[in-house]
Amino acid sequence: MRLAKNVKFREEKFGGVLFETRSEKVYTLTPTAAAVVKQVAEGRAPGEIAPALAQRFEADGTTIEREVKAFLAELAEKGLVED
Amino acid sequence: MNDSAASEALAAPLYVAWQITNECNLACLHCIEESGPGKAFSDELDREGALRVVDELMANEVPYLSFSGGEPMLHPHFFEMAERVTSRGSQLKVETNGHYLTPENCARLKALEVKAVQVSLDGATSATFGRMRVRGEFDRTLQGIRNLVAADVPVEINFSPARFNIHEAGRIVDLAYELGAASFYSGRTMFTGNAVKAWRHLEVEDADYVKYFETLAAKRDEYRGRMRVSYHEAGLLEELRYRLHHPAALLIILPNGLVKLINALPFVCGDLRRESLADVWANFRRAWHDPRVATFIDELAADPGATRGLHKWVRV
Repeated sequence: MRLAKNVKFREEKFGGVLFETRSEKVYTLTPTAAAVVKQVAEGRAPGEIAPALAQRFEADGTTIEREVKAFLAELAEKGLVED
Repeated sequence: MNDSAASEALAAPLYVAWQITNECNLACLHCIEESGPGKAFSDELDREGALRVVDELMANEVPYLSFSGGEPMLHPHFFEMAERVTSRGSQLKVETNGHYLTPENCARLKALEVKAVQVSLDGATSATFGRMRVRGEFDRTLQGIRNLVAADVPVEINFSPARFNIHEAGRIVDLAYELGAASFYSGRTMFTGNAVKAWRHLEVEDADYVKYFETLAAKRDEYRGRMRVSYHEAGLLEELRYRLHHPAALLIILPNGLVKLINALPFVCGDLRRESLADVWANFRRAWHDPRVATFIDELAADPGATRGLHKWVRV
């Protein structure tokens, strides 16, 4: 999985932004969402993202896995990531 | 995940529209920038200054830039600047009149992986095109578009309506599709720049705009999934009133490094020859609250002709 061709990610103090330059649509991201997108942008496989974040945020692995999966599905549905 | 971002919260702009030169081979009736042959600013950024600005934009992770003009491909360092943008991972759109889109230049644009090239095509026939785009060559522009398509560079077509070409609205969208464009853009032609002097030839009646946008709506549906048809129905005043409370995360850089608040206002909020991007961005966010900006927009409601003075810059 990677960011779609016309999508750019930038970290911000509040988390981050995803900018879809074809439609010029901007999505703001919470710190947790930005952490997920950063992992995607760095080329991490979906299965690697939840364990990495669970460790970083000291969160329950099952919960974060479920949330990451749902968030990645949302990104895919909006065409912001692609395989 | 919210589908909006207040520019005030961002560390840097998301989009920079850079008019890299005011020089142009054409002298279009409606040119907002009053570009034309010999119209380069006397103080346009030199190579070193332009590349320094590119580097600063890249260092601040500005994800999306456009190069326009004037005719941007007349800039002596156009390709060097473009390469410096795309090689750093930002996306670049080039807005051109299409007269320099030779097969060789299109191949270079493809190699640079520009996001898209937007070509102005203000007529579906040589006669209407030539009336709007003075000194322009219709066939040469079409060939330039074909060269882009052949080189696999995404093409966007931009159309500015006037009283003498608006009847071609449907035909121009069809032509854009036949040429292989990925997108078609239009909106209302603004009463500013060269258009002020040529307004009697350009002005479109409200009733004609209604029909025009109906035609574009039908074309948007007709080409859905094949070519994106986008248009902006809002008038200038409506747009400015919205922007006053929701400034876009967009900086407009002029050929000499000055930075405008928005194209349709005369206000300049920075100078990249002397100030850092961070300082200009901070001032951009503050400047939208300057009372002179709201006052100008209010005055525009009473006198739409206030846009005559957009080139008399006011520092805020």
